[in-house]
Amino acid sequence: MPFSTLLTDYQTTPNVWDEMCDQQAIRSHYQVFLQSLKKDSIAELVKKNELAKKLFMSQGITFTVYSDGEGIEKIFPFDILPRIITATEWSIIERGIKQRVKALNIFLADVYHDQFIIKDGKIPAALILSCPNFMKEMVGVDLSHGIYTQISGIDLIRDSDGSFYVLEDNLRTPSGVSYMLENRSMTYRIFPDTLPKNNVRSIKDYPDLLLKNLMALSKRAISNPTVVLLTPGIYNSAYFEHTTLARLMGVELVEGRDLVVDNAKVYMKTTAGLKQVDVIYRRVDDDFLDPLVFNPKSMLGVPGLYFAFRSGNVAIINAPGNGVADDKAVYPYVPEMIKYYLNEEPILKTVPTYSMSDPEHFSLVFSQINKMVIKKTNESGGYGMLMGNAVTEKEIAEYKKEVEKNPRQFIAQPIISLSTVPCFIDGKIQPRHVDLRPFALYGPQGIEIVPGGLTRVALREGSLVVNSSQGGGSKDTWVLA
Amino acid sequence: MLSRVADSVFWMARYLERTDNVLRLLRTDYIASQDEILNFDWQRVTDTLSTKSETPKVVTSYREALYHLILNKDHDASVFTNIVRVRENARSVQDYITKELWQCLNDYYHIVRDPHTEDLLLQQDPVTALDTLLRESIIFYGTVEVTMNRGDGYTFLNLGKYIERALQSLDLLEMKWDIADEVTEPVSWKYLLYALSGFEFHTKFYRNALQTEDVIHQVLFNTQFPHSVSYSLSQIDRYFQRLKETSLTDNFKEMEFLAGKMVKDIQYTTVNRKDSVAVRELITATRNQILNFSHKLTTLYFGYT
Repeated sequence: MPFSTLLTDYQTTPNVWDEMCDQQAIRSHYQVFLQSLKKDSIAELVKKNELAKKLFMSQGITFTVYSDGEGIEKIFPFDILPRIITATEWSIIERGIKQRVKALNIFLADVYHDQFIIKDGKIPAALILSCPNFMKEMVGVDLSHGIYTQISGIDLIRDSDGSFYVLEDNLRTPSGVSYMLENRSMTYRIFPDTLPKNNVRSIKDYPDLLLKNLMALSKRAISNPTVVLLTPGIYNSAYFEHTTLARLMGVELVEGRDLVVDNAKVYMKTTAGLKQVDVIYRRVDDDFLDPLVFNPKSMLGVPGLYFAFRSGNVAIINAPGNGVADDKAVYPYVPEMIKYYLNEEPILKTVPTYSMSDPEHFSLVFSQINKMVIKKTNESGGYGMLMGNAVTEKEIAEYKKEVEKNPRQFIAQPIISLSTVPCFIDGKIQPRHVDLRPFALYGPQGIEIVPGGLTRVALREGSLVVNSSQGGGSKDTWVLA
Repeated sequence: MLSRVADSVFWMARYLERTDNVLRLLRTDYIASQDEILNFDWQRVTDTLSTKSETPKVVTSYREALYHLILNKDHDASVFTNIVRVRENARSVQDYITKELWQCLNDYYHIVRDPHTEDLLLQQDPVTALDTLLRESIIFYGTVEVTMNRGDGYTFLNLGKYIERALQSLDLLEMKWDIADEVTEPVSWKYLLYALSGFEFHTKFYRNALQTEDVIHQVLFNTQFPHSVSYSLSQIDRYFQRLKETSLTDNFKEMEFLAGKMVKDIQYTTVNRKDSVAVRELITATRNQILNFSHKLTTLYFGYT
């Protein structure tokens, strides 16, 4: 086999879909890239890896962990080998996500207005009302164009037969898109000329598409509405992303203390006095938006913001209250939503999900716990999760007690072994598990998805946890034309 | 522009200018210390460049002084701390300043943290380390000129730069004057001019042996000398005028008066340069005017809390 010198350490796992290798053969969409690598010995790849690290450091694309007053700079781990997705695969992903996001938006509009889906018995009322993110304040609020999720990040994984499953929907403040963009610009530098040779589709339109959508949501009929990006500030782990997006769109990056509400209008404090704000792309959670309505201790929000929003003087993106649609206990009902609202069959599969408040499910899950993962319905980032195949009996017993206390807060799913892709780790090309988060932008003209997304990698051998907070990394994602 | 952003840009420029001035002074002092037979008084340098509120740091060698003044993370007035402040301010306005400028400051930060810099300062040739650091601040000013748009942010950046520069020049003049006696005076003036990158200019402009009046003229009044107080004040006035279009009228008028008065007061002063008491009074009065201007700028333009 022609790539044998590079791939001596590449051992795929049985019953796991490897995106590069089919048994011992290299899949055709990886051939061109591997050909170009053949010239580069492993030593060359080591150099490229060093270069990538240096570039991330000098560009300040880092997380800052604060201790003893001085920040410790950490690079978000980046794997240099791109992940490649074919045009056919992408068309399934694209259609599937559009369908899903459309249905979820109708669901949000429905659940905050007439609640037909509950009245028709498709979703139990108790499930919605017990959801901590169902926001009563949003009931009856009309949004412009009826769009709740202007920006969604849909996490996809691939099962052993290669088919795509939705792992979770992120409809509140999904992050990671700046890494999608930065990872691509890293590829230009470390693999010159390989992108055009492989016919990779461009993702650079993302900021323009987003800005166009944000501007369209202004309630004032003016040609140049003021759009701002609201960040919790420099200590937030996604601060780099906030600055990148603000810079790329040319909008002001504001903190809560830069804004003030007067007469139900939002203003920002400038050197030339107050200036009215029309659209807020907020990266602050619902709970912290307005201390008068939500968490009264919040220092990140703006007092009176919610009132200004209700009065129709400012647009908030994404809408508050979206958490009811990406709650993990609501997740199993999404296929039903697609059928109910769109009269279509779901294009993307959903992972079977067991509600822990159902006693039958509860005993079923704990009888085969080593094949299960239990998650909190209201947490993300890999927190509060139990992987049944990687814990001790004692940990299981402790977790079980937690679940018994408040079963509504937990769901269980069978462990799906995520697909693997080649990664360059410890000087060897080795397979690692990945997921994929494409970003869907929903504007007045419909849903658009730039061809790509954030591929997150579980860097530890055999690990299935890709979250950056849990030792995950990322890599560039190529969608071929 | 956002008041918070203007504030951060202003302080980013002030801390950077301060760092640049301190590094130039240390470079000159270090060379001076190598050129003198008598023991150079590093304790005095350390005391003048340390925060007044801190307990005085006792230094026993020049390496120790260099460490304390440049690298000591726990020292509030060290070069390291100032660069961290420059970078933290830049970080909070990362979307506003250009990517090039952010990368340049980020590099500066990584260089001051580089073990190689420490090795040069504490084991090898400190001048090489100081030159490397000084080059970074020159790159900063170049990057600002080439990449930053000429909007209000650029104006506040320059206001910060020249306010700090004028204050530093006043401080330095006073400090060298304090330590100069009849014997050491000429040498002391020479090092002052070196620290302000103004010695070569002095020899060309004044064309005679170093005299106190000429040095005072250069540092306070010479409008061709970029580190002179007069030059810095006229730059403050010039940049401030640019804010006219985007300011609230009352705020602008109040500040415009202060800026104009500052420039004219020093320009038309009748103080005799040989009258050291009067010159010292002028230094104090000018410093107070600048501090007042800076304070007003904070309340009228950066008031966001």
